[in-house]
Amino acid sequence: MRLRLRPGDLRALADEELMELVDAGDTRAFEVVFDRHGGAGYSLALRMCGRRALAEDIVQEAFLSLWRSGSGYDRARGSVRSWVLSAVHNRTVDTLRRTGAKAGRDVSDEGIAERLPARDATDVEVERREESRRVRSALDELPSDQRQVIELAYFGGLSHSQIAEMLDLPPGTVKGRMRLGLTKMRQALGEAERVAL
Amino acid sequence: MSVENGRECGENAAAYVLGALGPAEAEAFRRHIDECAACRDEVAAFEQITEALPASTGRSEMPRDLRRRVMREVRATPKTAPAGRAHTVRAPSRVSFAWGGALAAGIVAVIVAIVLVSSGGSSGTRVIQASVGSAELHIAGGRGDLVVHRLPPLPAGRIYEMWVQRGTAAPTPTGTLFSTRANGSANVGVPGSLNGVSRVMVTQEPAGGTLAPTSAPVIVAPVT
Repeated sequence: MRLRLRPGDLRALADEELMELVDAGDTRAFEVVFDRHGGAGYSLALRMCGRRALAEDIVQEAFLSLWRSGSGYDRARGSVRSWVLSAVHNRTVDTLRRTGAKAGRDVSDEGIAERLPARDATDVEVERREESRRVRSALDELPSDQRQVIELAYFGGLSHSQIAEMLDLPPGTVKGRMRLGLTKMRQALGEAERVAL
Repeated sequence: MSVENGRECGENAAAYVLGALGPAEAEAFRRHIDECAACRDEVAAFEQITEALPASTGRSEMPRDLRRRVMREVRATPKTAPAGRAHTVRAPSRVSFAWGGALAAGIVAVIVAIVLVSSGGSSGTRVIQASVGSAELHIAGGRGDLVVHRLPPLPAGRIYEMWVQRGTAAPTPTGTLFSTRANGSANVGVPGSLNGVSRVMVTQEPAGGTLAPTSAPVIVAPVT
């Protein structure tokens, strides 16, 4: 007989434990997963597509897909958060490539950068905000030409050849800037982690 | 890390993890990293950065209605059976399709499609011919999600288009066009209900899609 956990008990479980319940069809466990990561998924989709209604549709489709085929989660390949965000990212890229939705932004990048109030500043949330600050700082400190190609590729869903055409650069230069940028981010984040320790 | 055609092979690693290589380049690079430990290590290191990139996005207030909408759909959607319940049927030696002169040109690279049906479903599992990659059609609550792995790269100016077929009628477009990620994978919802649908198929079509298939399917997944 399966032990029926109360909602409060569920919220005390780690993501990986929740996923075992999700695999067994527990909608309340999935609700907790959504509460933990749905906001980050929505923020990512909105950052990428720039349209609130479209971002909502993308998040809804992504989470429904994860629910239907959630047994695809493999803890050996990363965290639940990475799995969720990867699903949202991939679905948004597909949408952008299919519809060219980037053209119709109704939210500016500045508008997307609005911050949530600090009411939920649990330890986990504090840690995530600190990670967010470190990653944003590492990205912001890149030379603008390197940051630009990384953002166009990752958040804009553009290929290196599309970026090369847009910026009137040789494709090799675009790839080189991507590599330099990611290498510097890696160094910066590695350094930040060592300092934090 | 080696030098190929005068270029250091590692120059593709960053574009690869950012999903910025074209399909053919991505496929070639995937084959390359199977052989090149240095590139494999660089990809692994860069993937840690791309996994962190979403954290650079400012958090936006999620519409309250979204949570309610998602959970309403979730509660109305039976969970797909665990993968272990799926079973595989040996591919028929010959697959026949009843549509179009394009198909008469020959069957190309039809991918294994494992159909996973929820406990409340009424259908079994069928697998079609396999030559490259793999695909799963997850069916629950009358709706479907197609998950593909290592799908062949698309030539320039082409895109994958999803079709549904009812009985022996000509396939109808679902309006779903998609490309794959750098690793050849994609997760695509089948629009609408699968009630009455006998097959879900995927073909390669010109960018922008077509109203009727112009090439043989690369994926065929029987539903009923």
